[in-house]
Amino acid sequence: MTLHISLAAERLWTVWGLPISNSLLTAWVVMGLLIVLSVLATRKLTMVPSTGQLIAETLVGGLHDFFGAIAGKRLDQFFPLIASLFIFILAANWVGLLPGVGTVGYFRSEKAEAAVEQQAAVIPGAEVAVPTEEDSHAPAAGTVAEETTASSAAAATKEEDGHGKTAFVPILRGATADLNMTLALAVVAVIAMQYFGFRNLGAHYLGRFVNFKDPILFSVGILELVSDISKVVSFAFRLFGNIFAGEVLLAVIAFLMPFFLPLPFLMLELFVGVIQALVFSMLTTAFLNVAVSHGEEEHAAAEHHASA
Amino acid sequence: MEKLGIEPSLLLAQVVNFLVIMVVLQKLLYKPILTMLEKRKKEIAEGLHLTQKMREEEERLKEKQEKALAKAREDALQIIEDAKKQAKETEKELVAEAHTQAAAIIARAKTEAEETKNAATSAIRREAVDLAVVMAKRLLTSVMGVKEQHALISKRVKDLESWVAREEKKS
Repeated sequence: MTLHISLAAERLWTVWGLPISNSLLTAWVVMGLLIVLSVLATRKLTMVPSTGQLIAETLVGGLHDFFGAIAGKRLDQFFPLIASLFIFILAANWVGLLPGVGTVGYFRSEKAEAAVEQQAAVIPGAEVAVPTEEDSHAPAAGTVAEETTASSAAAATKEEDGHGKTAFVPILRGATADLNMTLALAVVAVIAMQYFGFRNLGAHYLGRFVNFKDPILFSVGILELVSDISKVVSFAFRLFGNIFAGEVLLAVIAFLMPFFLPLPFLMLELFVGVIQALVFSMLTTAFLNVAVSHGEEEHAAAEHHASA
Repeated sequence: MEKLGIEPSLLLAQVVNFLVIMVVLQKLLYKPILTMLEKRKKEIAEGLHLTQKMREEEERLKEKQEKALAKAREDALQIIEDAKKQAKETEKELVAEAHTQAAAIIARAKTEAEETKNAATSAIRREAVDLAVVMAKRLLTSVMGVKEQHALISKRVKDLESWVAREEKKS
């Protein structure tokens, strides 16, 4: 038995040129779940709320109040973005913790893997193989698509004659444990900052990056540009790092001791899921605020000057 | 990039995913829920306002009622007072009337008694005269003759008549 850990999401199929990775599949599951739940919660809105409506109201109202404290009067512009960030990231984080996600899958020979796509989904360098004495007793059932339900530690590679190595491919993988997802969210967040900046300030917003008034402001503009690009990276890797690390931790713990011991770590990961969703959405709100209030003091000063 | 598993097509797919979920949630979740919350907020504010108004109204009514009660109490006291006064007056009147009636009754009784007494006195007197006549007759028959008797009797009768006339004149 070996422990299978892959930094990248595995590719399942390719449909019309679009590679379907297991984390993309999970993202769709999360989306479906969210849509179904929100339809159920808001299907019959009444003055005296039902339980479902009450939960939805508490969530949305709570987020509204919470972000309202940061975003202030511009909350109505930002709210769909930041609330969706929070809800979607939270749901994705938690769905990644469900049993079966990352553990239910099938074995695929490397040849088949190469056939699906040129590049192997499992990066050799990121693969940790922990051999145990069970290895010798393991039946050669690699060709059969097999569900491993025992624990989140999955048998990763098995010896098989003729085909060489086979790789374990989980059908579902935590959506935020994939850099594509987190990078996508980060890109959306940073582009939203520029969008809201231009929408609120017009051409004046450009002065944040390109400013020829004086050399100090010019270099500050370059720094702002670099910092916005670095925001993409930090957003993406913070979320990915936390969630992926959590999944690796859970896999290792479950591999070492499948019963009871993972529970406190599972609790911890639930908590981390909330915290990361909160951090992502709160930072986005704060940066959005910074972007739309760029040069507000100058504006105010100029207006004051003009009126005086 | 390859080692991290970043692929432009997947990245784009996830961006689209997020945008889709954002739009859908805005339509399905945030908008209706926030509208509902706003509506409920308004409703509650209205309700509270109404309650406040009702309370004021109640206070006002209570005051009014209290005033009316106080006035009624005062009126009642006044009425009782009046009734007492009137009763006293009536009592006095009644007592006075009773007194006068009693006096009248006593007076009438007195006169009646007087009359009865007078009548009795005259009756006794007449009887006494009759008795005297009878006695005189008896005595005279045994002493005198019929002629003298008649002369004496007529003389005596004349005397009596004159006495009676005198007496009557006197009374």
